[in-house]
Amino acid sequence: MKETLLLLVVFGMAMGFCGYALAQEQASSTDTAPAIHARPPSPGVGSANVPPKNSDAAATKPAPVARRDSAAMRLEGEKRFRTNCGRCHMAPHKFPPRTMATIVRHMRVRAMITDEDMRLILSYMTQ
Amino acid sequence: MYLDKNSTTGVADLRPGHAGNPLTARHLLGQGACHRPGIARLLLGAGFLWFSLPLAARCQSASPQPPSTQLDDPQPLKPIPILQGSAGFLATFDGGEPHLGPIVTPVVLVPIGERWLVETRATFESDLAQQPGLEGFHGQLKKEVDYAQLDFIANPYVTVTVGRILTPFGIFNERLYPVWIRNLQSDPLILPIGIGPSNASTGAMLRGGFKAAPQFNVNYAVYYSALSTASPVDSSRFAGGRVGIFVPKARLEVGGSFQHLLQDERSNLFGFHLIWQPQALPFDLRAETARSRRGRGYWIEPAYRLSQLPFWRNQMRRTQVVARMQEFLVGPLPGDGLPDVNTRQFEAGMNYYFMDGLKATGNYGRQFSMDGNKNVWTFGVTYRFVVPLGREGNEL
Repeated sequence: MKETLLLLVVFGMAMGFCGYALAQEQASSTDTAPAIHARPPSPGVGSANVPPKNSDAAATKPAPVARRDSAAMRLEGEKRFRTNCGRCHMAPHKFPPRTMATIVRHMRVRAMITDEDMRLILSYMTQ
Repeated sequence: MYLDKNSTTGVADLRPGHAGNPLTARHLLGQGACHRPGIARLLLGAGFLWFSLPLAARCQSASPQPPSTQLDDPQPLKPIPILQGSAGFLATFDGGEPHLGPIVTPVVLVPIGERWLVETRATFESDLAQQPGLEGFHGQLKKEVDYAQLDFIANPYVTVTVGRILTPFGIFNERLYPVWIRNLQSDPLILPIGIGPSNASTGAMLRGGFKAAPQFNVNYAVYYSALSTASPVDSSRFAGGRVGIFVPKARLEVGGSFQHLLQDERSNLFGFHLIWQPQALPFDLRAETARSRRGRGYWIEPAYRLSQLPFWRNQMRRTQVVARMQEFLVGPLPGDGLPDVNTRQFEAGMNYYFMDGLKATGNYGRQFSMDGNKNVWTFGVTYRFVVPLGREGNEL
């Protein structure tokens, strides 16, 4: 009985996380926050370019604004890189982009970094 | 090119010391585990199916356009198979007895499509020692597959993992174990608590990380391991989970682990971990504590990069000093891979990073135990490598 209760607690935790995650996912689909938060997180490896996919505004954005956004994204990517990756190891070389994409996918699973962090880090590491 | 010449963290890496630990008859026979009603197994199996399949289906249907790695680029950035890993050569003087330890741990990563990843790690190592009546060092090559798992990234918050998995109890086994990452060359005394003699499980796991609030992220892992007596994929039957809260602004992560053994004494195991890297200092603090009926203990490991020293800047920024204090207290049950008596150990050492992934390491440790005190010296070199598999590895 005690064992069953413990198991139920473990799965209760799992259910809670999954429910919370699904709620977050639904909420993020209507999120209209700035560029790096605007797009719903992708389940895949992540995007090297983080701005929203369907952003017409981004497409027509003047070049200086786009450059400023790109620089801000790079800074944010570097910050996330140091904060997340630095928890366990020293920063590595930059590898070829497709190699980097594999490493980031691996670290997403292994180090459980968030989707947003992963996309920004990949963007930074492939620039 | 170094990306973090002033990084506050260090790369280190150590030998998988618990590879190849023998199984006990209890584990092999799985006393009691095989004869208990399958209610727990059914619950767990149904639970995983319940969570993972709908999530996967929902995720697939929720994104009719397959996500790409570069959503705004006409040509998406497709990950490729790679071979990475670490190699090292460590010389240890354990109580005056010299040991030579070459080690290679290749990791193969094969991404499939947008959501899948096959990953496996093997360890090839040897413990060469002098034997009576023989000249030179002698030993056998140990070969082991540490893990082989299939990951399915169901959505941004959940990854489903099945296969032979590293048991996510505490932080050392999953994150700090590779020789190029760890700061000190020895395993913590409490490492076998929660991960067993083989450090891996055979089963399934849900895991992920997400931003729970603007101030912090949450990462979690919930897993179930089935009883397996087939070497080398032996494992005990247990279920558990780990939760961590990471505050990026403070660079602080705290978390806890829980595990319930579903065989033998059916006990509970608890763990707590902490990682802190203050913004203002090139300082790194890691600590763990674990408790089970087989023993309890802790380790705390501060490390400091000397980049702030005003002289020999080029050399100092490559130099890291590190220490570890740890203690293990035996429990009422014998522990596989754990010390037989109460043990306390202090270690201090230094790492020098020649370049990315290449490091020289040396440390001194003093062990105090009922079996007698001894000194342990370790010197070595570790290296991390990444090799794309196939010609497309150099494509942009």
